[in-house]
Amino acid sequence: MTSRAKLLTVLVLVIVAAGALYLNALMHRLRSERAQPTEASARTKLAEASLHAQNAPQESVTLFFPSNDQGVLLQETRQLSLAASDTDRIRQIFLALLEGSAQGHGAPIPAGAELRSAFLAADGTAYLDLAAGALPLFEPGIGTETLAVYSIVDSMCYNIPSVKRVKFLIQGQEVETLDGHVDLTEAFVPDTSLKPSTP
Amino acid sequence: MGSVAKDGCKLKDLIGAFRRHSRSAFTAGLGILLGAGALLWWTRPLRSDNFVFYLPAARDVLPVRTLGETSYLPLVGVLNLVGKVDALRESSNKLSLWYGDNTLEVRDNNRKVTLNKTSLKLSEPVRFVNGQWLVPVDFLSVVLPRLVKEPIEYRAGDKRIFIGSAKPATFAVRLESLANGARVRVEFTSPLTFQTAARDGKWILYLGDRAIEPLEQKFDFDNPYVSDLRFDDQDGVPKLILTPKTSGLDLYPALEEGGKVLRADILKPAAPATGQATGAAAQSAGPGQAGGAEGPAALPQRPTLPVVVLDAGHGGSDSGAQGPNGVLEKNLVAQIVVRVRTALLATQKYRVILTRMGDTDPDFDQRAIVADTAHAAVFISFHAGNLGFRSPRVAVYTFQPPGGGSTFDPLAPRPLLMPWNEAQTPHLAESQKLAQALEEQLSRLSEIQSGPIQPAPVRVLRSVDAPAIAIEVGSLEPNTDPAPLLDSQFQQKIASAIVSALDAFEGGVS
Ligand SMILES: [Zn+2]
Repeated sequence: MTSRAKLLTVLVLVIVAAGALYLNALMHRLRSERAQPTEASARTKLAEASLHAQNAPQESVTLFFPSNDQGVLLQETRQLSLAASDTDRIRQIFLALLEGSAQGHGAPIPAGAELRSAFLAADGTAYLDLAAGALPLFEPGIGTETLAVYSIVDSMCYNIPSVKRVKFLIQGQEVETLDGHVDLTEAFVPDTSLKPSTP
Repeated sequence: MGSVAKDGCKLKDLIGAFRRHSRSAFTAGLGILLGAGALLWWTRPLRSDNFVFYLPAARDVLPVRTLGETSYLPLVGVLNLVGKVDALRESSNKLSLWYGDNTLEVRDNNRKVTLNKTSLKLSEPVRFVNGQWLVPVDFLSVVLPRLVKEPIEYRAGDKRIFIGSAKPATFAVRLESLANGARVRVEFTSPLTFQTAARDGKWILYLGDRAIEPLEQKFDFDNPYVSDLRFDDQDGVPKLILTPKTSGLDLYPALEEGGKVLRADILKPAAPATGQATGAAAQSAGPGQAGGAEGPAALPQRPTLPVVVLDAGHGGSDSGAQGPNGVLEKNLVAQIVVRVRTALLATQKYRVILTRMGDTDPDFDQRAIVADTAHAAVFISFHAGNLGFRSPRVAVYTFQPPGGGSTFDPLAPRPLLMPWNEAQTPHLAESQKLAQALEEQLSRLSEIQSGPIQPAPVRVLRSVDAPAIAIEVGSLEPNTDPAPLLDSQFQQKIASAIVSALDAFEGGVS
């Protein structure tokens, strides 16, 4: 019985040690994960600054952010000195959404998602070409993907009148869905029904 | 003890009593169990069925042994079918096997299986009976995929498995009434050949060499000519068995559409006995026979039960959303779908077809094809995801084309050919009705958050040619406790809500 007790004690010690090691590794990973978004947002700010028109006046821009709790888009206004060309404006709106809400609403575009290129076709279709790495960053789900897509589409169409619809491409290619749910094979027109009835 | 039992909830007392008497209670219990076991040993039902193995170049069967509630397969037999056992060593209660590069160890009365030093757990213990090592059939999904390199398709509960390139075809069945008989149409997903035979007053349609996975095993018809159609491959030969309602009927089978449709006409022999024509026989009632032709045609011919297609999202390498502790969307929705299926079948009002078998990931078009070839009355897709902090919550979605405004005019004649990616458009109004019927039921459940119905560009609904909705339960995401979603009562409530909603939904299902 005593040898069994000894064995048990050793076993418990080993488990505790392993647990401590694991916890340490976990904390380390958590810290490095936390660092990512700030780095990404710093890059975002840099990219945004380069787009700002030199002497353009600040304009009020309305952005739509997802609320998974309510299943709606919440609007937020912010002052931006918008660029002269629509293509640059598309980039500016994208980056503003990527930077996130100042009022703590949900993030429509995950940190680390990169816009490779954007252009506006003559028929009013804005093409947003995301880097391949962006897809798995989006949270999978019918609700989450729908809100993410429409927060981008609605924000673009609301602030840039010449944008009538938005088509998403990944690495220059058409893809079937954003992350397993929402259909990306067609260009999106804005969905105004997603806004809350009482803002 | 009597008063404890009466009060019912004095759990502490019960545990205390159990602790105090556990030793003697254990001995007594064991004695009773052994006694009962010895008494019941001979009366125990010894059912014997076959399990069919579809291999790339062959097919084979093994006998299934039923012990208690569990189906068992002979371990060595299974391994020798899919490969070859190189060596084995048996000791008193342990079997060690060498199989290719693998070593496998099982013990009698033990759920644990050791494969190359990895420990795997079966649902029921391995048994050593009459000199034979038996494993519960979930060995096929727990252990076998790690032993063979070929892809395996196995649907839990089925008595067949497809290994390697034996990608199975499947089929949908429809009954049409003819003036002097009935027509059974079997639409296969890939072409096949067939041969017929008659035995014991039934017709047997042998389906050639293709591996076939039936989504349903038996189809009952409410019809004066044909009673049921059953799929059977118990001897390793896939076939359909057609049972006529009465004797004296004739069968005229034929393949159509390049071998993808098997049409079987069951006809009353025509009085002047011209017989040959099959399709023509239906219309050949001349003026002189008007009364006779009217007779059978006027018989009540209720169509077969409406088909409900249940689509468990994701599967295979696509796990979908993830919660804490390894809870995966693909498994959660498969669990819910099984409950919904059981609840729907219990009403005896519907046929139910699932879009995926086991842990596989059919693409969006394949899921729609299941619904469209089965002429589904209703299609429901199940998902789980982040729905915010109010958990448990159920969101109901209808399809919304990303391009917005559909120009579909319900009064205009339906075009002969519908574009595949617009198949849902004509059904949007019905889908909305179905969603409302379900939302109405869900809103009555005070402990579940729901509503409002949201139109969303859900890819899987796009090509479904039937009223279709998607359901998402939440929240399943890394920072929310998934326990409320795994709760069997929660899942059961969703199943009941769907049954009531389908009852209330008028239109597609009737
Ligand atoms: Zn999903």
